[in-house]
Amino acid sequence: MTEEDTTTSPRNRFARSILREKIPVSRWVTNRILGLGAINFYLFALLTITGTLLMVYYVPSTTQAYNDIKDLGTTVSFGSIVRNMHRWSAFLMIISGFLHMSRVFFTAEYREPREFNWLVGLFLFLMILGMAYTGYTLPWDQKSYWGLTIMSQILEAIPGIGSKLQYLVLGGTEVGQNTLTRSFVMHVKLLPLLMSMLMAVHFWRIWKDDHITLTFAGEDHTESPNQLEQPSVTWRYILTRETSKFLLVLLFVLVFSILFNAPLEEQANPMVTPDPVKAPWFFVGLQEVLSWGAPFWTGIVAPLLAIVAVAVIPYFDHGREGIGVWFHPSRRLSNVLFTAAVTIFIGLIIVGEFMRGPGWIFYWPWQHWSVN
Amino acid sequence: MFIDQTSRRNFINRLGWGVFLSTIGGIMVASIRLLAPNVLYELPKEFKVGYPKDYPEGVHFIPARRIFVLRENNRFRAVSAVCTHLGCTMRWSEQDLAWKCPCHGSVFNEKGGVIKGPATRPLPWYDISVSLDGQLLVDLNKDVSPDHSVVVNV
Repeated sequence: MTEEDTTTSPRNRFARSILREKIPVSRWVTNRILGLGAINFYLFALLTITGTLLMVYYVPSTTQAYNDIKDLGTTVSFGSIVRNMHRWSAFLMIISGFLHMSRVFFTAEYREPREFNWLVGLFLFLMILGMAYTGYTLPWDQKSYWGLTIMSQILEAIPGIGSKLQYLVLGGTEVGQNTLTRSFVMHVKLLPLLMSMLMAVHFWRIWKDDHITLTFAGEDHTESPNQLEQPSVTWRYILTRETSKFLLVLLFVLVFSILFNAPLEEQANPMVTPDPVKAPWFFVGLQEVLSWGAPFWTGIVAPLLAIVAVAVIPYFDHGREGIGVWFHPSRRLSNVLFTAAVTIFIGLIIVGEFMRGPGWIFYWPWQHWSVN
Repeated sequence: MFIDQTSRRNFINRLGWGVFLSTIGGIMVASIRLLAPNVLYELPKEFKVGYPKDYPEGVHFIPARRIFVLRENNRFRAVSAVCTHLGCTMRWSEQDLAWKCPCHGSVFNEKGGVIKGPATRPLPWYDISVSLDGQLLVDLNKDVSPDHSVVVNV
């Protein structure tokens, strides 16, 4: 190689060894299908940075929080863009988390030995939702207040421990300062900490599961068992690609944040429930289900069943065919069922968001709401 | 003196585990207990809502306390304005003579009974009386029947 001759200085040798040397990496890095998992990680980083900036001004007080958010939008330099970035990154993370899970399902990559990582991923997704929910409570506007009220009433419907749990979460018998403080602690400390830990486990399992898979891959896969050990790409390649991906995500969020402002409703007012009061879009499907019956069934049993159903998928599917292949014909039934479930969820969100008017009465999107 | 080495080691081992687990367990119980406040700075459950003469006939919303005070002739009653489904504040509809919840669409009749779900429990009615200074006094701690009222000659 001619390249070798040019590397004489120690600095060059360092650059060469670290960045140019081909390293053994799994084919999941080289053949990344969509890279959505990495995008989730970048969004998490963006959310951490913007969230830290927001914390400099935000005070979790029922009398001050709303005004702090107002200030961020008006008097603080770049405050509104940072808040918008925080909001839109969070939305994007829900969507890309969901797409990431769908990708893993449609390519059957949750199967043994990755069933544990599927569970870790599911918990991470639930934590994203938890972060989004607690984040919604912090501005202390009408959505925050009534969201908390409804959530606390759902908790109360848990048999046995319901009212005690509600007391702990609210820090009292009604939504107030204690509730906001607890929500804040969850949002800025507890959940990010747990998420970071779970993310570390998630990444470690990707590496570990690849090793396991490739060791046993000989019989029904085309690649050789030792493919993992063969140097395939350079760090330089991975760093360049991933940095560009991160920059694209950043650019997208930045432009979106400059163009669109994060909404802020009226200040929380326990005396007036807006009519209709709607949950944030990712929970409006649940709100629709809640309107069908007793909170115990619609608010606890139904969501838990949905979560358990997603969690046990890898433990029921023992097929070996079609791993790593999009929409493999042998998995037609699973794919149809999964798509149907996803369609129902999205349908519920659409009905709740666009077809419910005052009094949660059904309206077509083009109908006018009658105002009582 | 004969000492069984194995059982002594066993005993110390168990003792160690016992101390470890009970310490961790105690700390966890204490941490969870800490989350439940002992003193609440919430509004009192018994409060005055003004003079009877200030209430015309009909249904009146007391926003600060999320109740309705009803007046029919000289009879006064008090009912919760909080939907029994998931706690939203309801509005009174004069044309339908019903309370309607904006969150999930529950409807309650003028007795507080559910006429449309998802709510399942009726609205609680609260004890109302006249305090010594002549103001109406509502006590949220006391649930009463929908017919419970206080008669004031205004």
